[in-house]
Amino acid sequence: MAELGRAALLVALGALAFSSLVGGFAAWSGRRRLVLAARNALVAAFGASLVASAVLVVALASRDFSFEYVAKTSSRDLPLLYAVSSFWGGQEGSLLLWLLLLTGFSTTAVALNRRLRIELLAWVVPVLATIALFFAALLVFLESPFQLQAAPADGAGLNPSLQNPYMLIHPVLLYLGFVGMSVPFAFAVAGLLARRTDEWWVVATRRWMLAAWLFLGVGQLLGARWAYLEIGWGGYYGWDPVENAALMPWLIATAYLHSIMVQEKKGMLRVWNVLLVILAFELSIFGTLLTRSGLIESVHAFAMSPIGAWFVAFLTLTTIASLALVFARLPILRTQTKLESPVSREATFLYNNLLLVAFCLTILWGVIYPLISEAVLGEPITVSQPYYNFFLRAFGLPLLLLMGIGPLIAWRRASLRSLGRTFIWPFGGALATGVILVAAGAGSSPAGLIAYTFSAFVMGAILLEFVRGTRARAALSGRSTAASLLSLISLNRRRYGGYVVHSAVVLLAVGVAGSSAYQTVREARLLPGDTLAAADYRLRFERLADRQAANHKRRRAILSVERQGQAAGTLEPGKNVYPVSERQPLFSTEVAVRTNWLRGEDLYVVADQINPDGSVDLTVYVKPLVNLIWIGGFVFILGSLIALWPDAREQRRLALRYGEAPVAITA
Amino acid sequence: MLAVFLLYTSIAGGTPQLRPSQLEGRTAEVTIVGKVLGPVSGDARRAGLRFRLQDVEGDAKSAIRVVYKGSVPDMFRAGRDISLKGRLQGAVFVGAPGTLVTKCPSKYSAKKS
Repeated sequence: MAELGRAALLVALGALAFSSLVGGFAAWSGRRRLVLAARNALVAAFGASLVASAVLVVALASRDFSFEYVAKTSSRDLPLLYAVSSFWGGQEGSLLLWLLLLTGFSTTAVALNRRLRIELLAWVVPVLATIALFFAALLVFLESPFQLQAAPADGAGLNPSLQNPYMLIHPVLLYLGFVGMSVPFAFAVAGLLARRTDEWWVVATRRWMLAAWLFLGVGQLLGARWAYLEIGWGGYYGWDPVENAALMPWLIATAYLHSIMVQEKKGMLRVWNVLLVILAFELSIFGTLLTRSGLIESVHAFAMSPIGAWFVAFLTLTTIASLALVFARLPILRTQTKLESPVSREATFLYNNLLLVAFCLTILWGVIYPLISEAVLGEPITVSQPYYNFFLRAFGLPLLLLMGIGPLIAWRRASLRSLGRTFIWPFGGALATGVILVAAGAGSSPAGLIAYTFSAFVMGAILLEFVRGTRARAALSGRSTAASLLSLISLNRRRYGGYVVHSAVVLLAVGVAGSSAYQTVREARLLPGDTLAAADYRLRFERLADRQAANHKRRRAILSVERQGQAAGTLEPGKNVYPVSERQPLFSTEVAVRTNWLRGEDLYVVADQINPDGSVDLTVYVKPLVNLIWIGGFVFILGSLIALWPDAREQRRLALRYGEAPVAITA
Repeated sequence: MLAVFLLYTSIAGGTPQLRPSQLEGRTAEVTIVGKVLGPVSGDARRAGLRFRLQDVEGDAKSAIRVVYKGSVPDMFRAGRDISLKGRLQGAVFVGAPGTLVTKCPSKYSAKKS
């Protein structure tokens, strides 16, 4: 079995080396048959990666502990689903998942773009193959998941806090996002290599970037949800380097998805977009490095794991090579079109881009600051929540405002009079919201108040856009409002899908502001019969209860809850005890949450400690509006899907414009 | 310009990260990273959890005494690597509530030597 896995990895390595080297030579010399051979080798590498992955899945499912990797990441009593999910629970498996996804994506991209002009395809293949080659080499030479050992009686098992449904899917989504960034990068680099500097690569890979961005976004939200339910600190995002690892490429992808509209429409920002796609790719590699190597957290405690150094080398090389390529192509890449007015749609896109990139670089700076300060000052200095929260407000609030302004402003140049007319309703709505909120006492947090007011403005602007568009369409076609709205969205999927995503961001902003700026926290030690009050709620500790589950024991504190004097059911926070060893069992804190969907509010209770005398230490959070974050997640998916959905009209239009690449657009 | 701004913020807002053995004479707020040395005693919600912390790659000689009040992560136990923000007061490092962090659970695989 293990031999088959190792052999498959070797085949993948060989095929990718061929695809990279021979493919590069073929592209350079223009030999058509070699180009096709390199393409086929890339597809073969996908097949080999599939075989290697299948071997690992079988070993994990059958708990074959003669595989070091299986013994390290699973155990006999681990439910099957979690045992298989250990595929991406450890380093070697994660690298294999990268290879599998990348070769799979490459195969799909090549298949979807089979009518692409051969001189472009010729360069796309070796670029993708070179990235995949790096991962294949790591798997073959440094981090093989197919190392054998004398099988122990049982495996080490999966950390209890990772035995959670969210953790089955969260890492996969992040990897789909990280790896997805490679495809637009490869197309952009291929275009530069082939001296094609128009928008073909943007058009061919817009949906790839959108999908990668969607996966990364949803992956992060699921991670946040997991942290919220599993870590038990009442928060959902802690600015940990591992979390930032996914946020940074997502921010750059967000900037990119906006700025390519300027390129498509006005032919501007060509260099900028190439730089963004390079940055997004490098950050996705950096993100993988951060999550896998322990480069940052343990910077002075450990020697960097062996793959860390290779990742840094790969990052450095690809960055230098891509930037050198951009520099070499600058003369043909530069555009003559200039910004006509600082008050125009394209200008707001530019501001949005600058803010997003600045925010991303700020986070990057915070993440690598321990390394830099250690090199410069001789002592690692870490920055934490206050640093990030400061910049979240500094960059996030203007971004929120721009989200309202952008859609209402005309391309090229907007007159003040037309601006006044368009803005009057959203502006009035925002002002009214602000006044009502101050009257309601929301002024206790100025940042929260600004966020809410801006959110009202953005929502007003989005609604106005929908209303105006629907009216215009109804007047034109004479159909009903609902039919006009539907046809409006389906005829302009990118635009209205984008607005739906904007409203998701507003929900997110309102949820984050509400749950952080206006939350209530109470802590107490309770004996049975004691009560604790928090905001509108009163909790009474009834008793402790123990229950046996498949591979653990559940200790729960039974609490009866009242809201405004009315009985509101029971909550059962507690701990799961996993008896992995007699002396030192493993614990996982299980929070109890009572969600009021109507108010979007959570009553969130943690049993921090269950004491020998039968008392329990509780922390109770009342988090207003926190559920808007998760609802926003669904709206985000909906909007992204609208923008992603294939559009036959758009394809025909683009096919006319980029004559040789009609199928490319379905990518 | 941005870099200068960021540098300023980082210095103003950052905390030095030290090993227990580097702590001597430092009274400003720092983050220490080390390995928990048992026995762990006391009550995190009352007088405080008491334990010793040694350099991750050191021995008990490098250990300092620590007291910590606040929520304790599930993964916390003797032998585990943790980071904790706080201040040295006399011979005892007093942790700030809610800053005790154990190594991220996603990296449970054994360290390669």
